[in-house]
Amino acid sequence: MSDPFSINGGAAVAMVGKDCIAIACDTRLGSQSLGLANNFEKVFQMGKTTFLGLTGLATDVITLREDFRLKNNLYKLREEREMEPKTLANLVSTSLYERRFGPYFVSPIVAGLGKGGQPFICGFDLIGCIDFAKDFIVSGTASDQLYGTCESLYEPNLEPEDLFETISQALLNAVDRDALSGWGAVVYVVTKEKVVRRVLRTRQD
Amino acid sequence: MADCSFGITGKDFVLLASDQSAGRSIIKMKSDENKIRTLSPGLALAFGGEPGEFTSLGKRRLMGGTSNELAKRGGESDMIKRDTNNFVDYVERNLRLYQIRNNTELLPAPASAFIRKELANSIRSRSPYAVNLLLGGYDKVHSEAHLYSIDLYGTKAILPYAAQGLGIYVALSTMDKYWYPDITRDEAVELLKKCVAEVKLRLAYQFTFNAIVIDKEGVKNLPL
Amino acid sequence: MPGLSFDNYQRNQFLAAKGFGTPRATSTGTTIVGCKFAGGVVIAADTRATAGSIVADKNCEKLHRLAPQIWCAGAGTAADTEMVTQLIASNLELHSLSQNRKPRVITALTMLKQHLFKYQGHLGAYLIVAGVDPTGAHLMSVQAHGSTDIGHYQSLGSGSLAAMAVLETHWKPNMTKEEAVQLCAQAIELGIWNDLGSGSNVDVCVMEVGKDAELYRNYKTPNVRESKTRSYKFPRGTTAVLKERSWQVVDEQVVATGEPMEVDA
Repeated sequence: MSDPFSINGGAAVAMVGKDCIAIACDTRLGSQSLGLANNFEKVFQMGKTTFLGLTGLATDVITLREDFRLKNNLYKLREEREMEPKTLANLVSTSLYERRFGPYFVSPIVAGLGKGGQPFICGFDLIGCIDFAKDFIVSGTASDQLYGTCESLYEPNLEPEDLFETISQALLNAVDRDALSGWGAVVYVVTKEKVVRRVLRTRQD
Repeated sequence: MADCSFGITGKDFVLLASDQSAGRSIIKMKSDENKIRTLSPGLALAFGGEPGEFTSLGKRRLMGGTSNELAKRGGESDMIKRDTNNFVDYVERNLRLYQIRNNTELLPAPASAFIRKELANSIRSRSPYAVNLLLGGYDKVHSEAHLYSIDLYGTKAILPYAAQGLGIYVALSTMDKYWYPDITRDEAVELLKKCVAEVKLRLAYQFTFNAIVIDKEGVKNLPL
Repeated sequence: MPGLSFDNYQRNQFLAAKGFGTPRATSTGTTIVGCKFAGGVVIAADTRATAGSIVADKNCEKLHRLAPQIWCAGAGTAADTEMVTQLIASNLELHSLSQNRKPRVITALTMLKQHLFKYQGHLGAYLIVAGVDPTGAHLMSVQAHGSTDIGHYQSLGSGSLAAMAVLETHWKPNMTKEEAVQLCAQAIELGIWNDLGSGSNVDVCVMEVGKDAELYRNYKTPNVRESKTRSYKFPRGTTAVLKERSWQVVDEQVVATGEPMEVDA
């Protein structure tokens, strides 16, 4: 009972592959050590190939998911086109920094394919500092563990099917070492042609 | 005040049960308080407040502190727990207003979004509502039963069965064991009785319960 | 919605009062330096971003453009250095457009210090501002509370002491451009090796009178990751999948619907 980031628990991770990206999250929602729900997904589709992951305080995860859904829809109506991942990243950054002195307790990640199918991933801190990365981005209560698994398992230019295995194993093995994360996992693998969503078999403890 | 409430869904119904005690700290002042509110023909909620939250001001007031003296104290201590009834009244009347304006009831899903948002906003105000609730509803359009657990921060979980308050310690395992997706109404009532029995057996606190069932016919009292 | 929103402040105070601590933002434990030379100025930075003891970003950019010829290096709270820099950059551009003059370093510095002073140190931005303008080459620094310094060489951040050791021993007046770049890069490298908050690579930006500013991103890369000798690639099918669903990504085609509008020829 000390940190708003670790009341509800949860983890998310994104990776870049060869002309593809993958983004994954666990599905636990807890209240301290009590598990409340195992259907609480933290990755949301914002465009055809653009995804937003939100971990942290669950009420803020829901609030921001709805906020960005609204902003994303208004953008689509006004511009008659979809938001680029880079644009979404800047939107997330400015929206969070707007609350510089009263932040939402979240660690968002963005993953998607930009113009011409260019893979893009990035992460943020709670006040919107963007962390651009070429390989992977982690967030949530299992982020320390994810840094470890990703740093060792990741390699560049993986094909979508291989990227799926790598991100899944990185996530699974990380959340198994975090009491506040787990209870199911969802992985999205995104290529220019299609999006594949897989629900993983995970430990239930 | 210690609370205890349960919610169980089946294919086309939701059961809600809540304890009936009211009081302050360790003192029970009432044992027949209704803490389940029907919001519309297909929607109801069981609510409870967090015990011992921001009551310093409320207590002082009881002990004879003047409002002037209270105003001077400032800081976080001037956060008052607002009555949970107050919040439920607010929700009930806003949902009624929606029905009058649009000539249609808000379905359970959007109603849950509305209630969650009110709580998420409330927690950012000077005097937040410290209310946890279980929202049960029957969606007539999709012919589905829904149960939502929403806490004082505005954390919403969509669940097949849930407990809140002291019940989580003793009844969740019972629910885990006996609940299954196509549970019949009679079996659900039996399960609820098991939970209540567990509470009576394991908790030092003495609770009395009332319960309702929500289905396509509407909200009905459920004798336990 | 102009300005910052303090809406959540109350809520977070309440959370803090309940015993939930206030989390810390990504801060750049950093080494940044700047150094003047005959006919210009150079600034440099390391590329490590930290969150507590975790390295959050191994190759971040701490050199920000305020104007084409004015750059600054940032230390402190990462989001603050980024945002305050973007804000001042945009105000400088508007200012130079309205005044029909090239922006000056002193203008940038004044705007920064007035903004930071207004926030009483709550914006944790520590910057080295450098650039060339019609009045020559300049090197200054500004602290989070709004105080500023001017000097021939500057260093800031958690690695500033290590960097300053290099600057104090090797700095001399009227250096050449190459000497200055070397000195700055060496100072940063000392920060990289000796300060835990700094690491990875060296970024350098050179601003010379009468020339375009030049950014040397990853000027030095003394910490290249050794490539793995074996692959950890998993055989396909390693991960157990419960459910799978996929959908095609289709390019939206604008389909004209309804009757074409009649227009005058």
